Amino acid sequence: MAAGVLLRSLSSNFSTVLPSLRRSAYNASFRRTLSSSGRLAAALKFTDKHEWIRVEDSGIGTVGISNFAQEALGDVVYCELPEVGKQLTQQDEFGALESVKAASELYSPLTGEVVEVNTRLADNPSLINKSCYEDGWLMKMTIASPAELDALMDEAAYKKYVRSIED
Amino acid sequence: MKGARPVVEVVRLGVVSYQEALRLQQLYVDRHRSSPANALLLCQHLPVYTTGIRHKPYPAALLDRLRLLGADVHRTNRGGLITFHGPGQLVCYPVLNLGNFTKSVRWYVCELEKTIISVCRRFGIEASTSPHTGVWVGDQKICAIGIHCGRYITSHGLALNCNTDMSWFGHIVPCGIEGKGVTSLTVKLQRDVSVEDTIPHLLDAFRQHFNCELTEEHTAE
Repeated sequence: MAAGVLLRSLSSNFSTVLPSLRRSAYNASFRRTLSSSGRLAAALKFTDKHEWIRVEDSGIGTVGISNFAQEALGDVVYCELPEVGKQLTQQDEFGALESVKAASELYSPLTGEVVEVNTRLADNPSLINKSCYEDGWLMKMTIASPAELDALMDEAAYKKYVRSIED
Repeated sequence: MKGARPVVEVVRLGVVSYQEALRLQQLYVDRHRSSPANALLLCQHLPVYTTGIRHKPYPAALLDRLRLLGADVHRTNRGGLITFHGPGQLVCYPVLNLGNFTKSVRWYVCELEKTIISVCRRFGIEASTSPHTGVWVGDQKICAIGIHCGRYITSHGLALNCNTDMSWFGHIVPCGIEGKGVTSLTVKLQRDVSVEDTIPHLLDAFRQHFNCELTEEHTAE
């Protein structure tokens, strides 16, 4: 499925990626030292469907689901993720997560193109429950319309939103 | 939000093909777009094997072999692995807006399990849950569960064996769980228990566990 396509595109790009990896590894560790105060150094924005998106320095957005969402789902046993290259409009269905015999749809937080999916989830879907903001990320996408990003909730607004649901 | 209990419309479809039930579920799912429209579809299917969103365990060749048995075969977008539906099995599709209940799929599936356990108890059968979703009597599954949820609207649902012809299950590993069997109300009670016998108990238990009002309209067009 998606994993097969991703592996093919990764191997063909490997030789061009390698030199820049050495450079960005140095930069990444420098940045990590600066931002060791927490993951919020790159701020998360949230949708009302409990997905988050974090914009990396590269301008690419990493997408996942929130802690509220992973708790509401239960143990994730399977992830259906999109093909790399798929064009998504904001709110398009981009995949599904299966837990407790329930398949729950995932909705794209923004308009853009899928550039990477988390292949670790194929063998280890429980990463979504154990580390929903870090290792359990779902996909990375380009951001076609920064205005859409501005309209999403920041962490404080999202916390308020979750409290209103729980009441 | 709190206070008034949600209203759920009971819709008795009778015996319908799986295809027809999918079409009707979609109508009820779409109805939710305009206004609260919770519904509980009840039916029996002609013999059919269905699979969920995980396709890899069920290649086309396997599904073709099942068709040769005289059953219909469908891939669906629900959770859960392969199962069988046929006459004598009470199939229930709640098309609910979880926003009217609790916004959690885990809660929803748990309440479905509790509902079926209550139904079994009314027949004097001790049923339980296990790490595998569904409702079990000892090591045998009496009711399968597999649902879909999008924007808090649920579809698909549960299938409780009343007096199903159990031999159909012999051709699959039900729900992908090796070494465990299946059973029915009839097998457990050693007397015939039909879908019609079971429906009133299901409706009562559903009303109780989902804390809702049930209404009944005419049968769907």
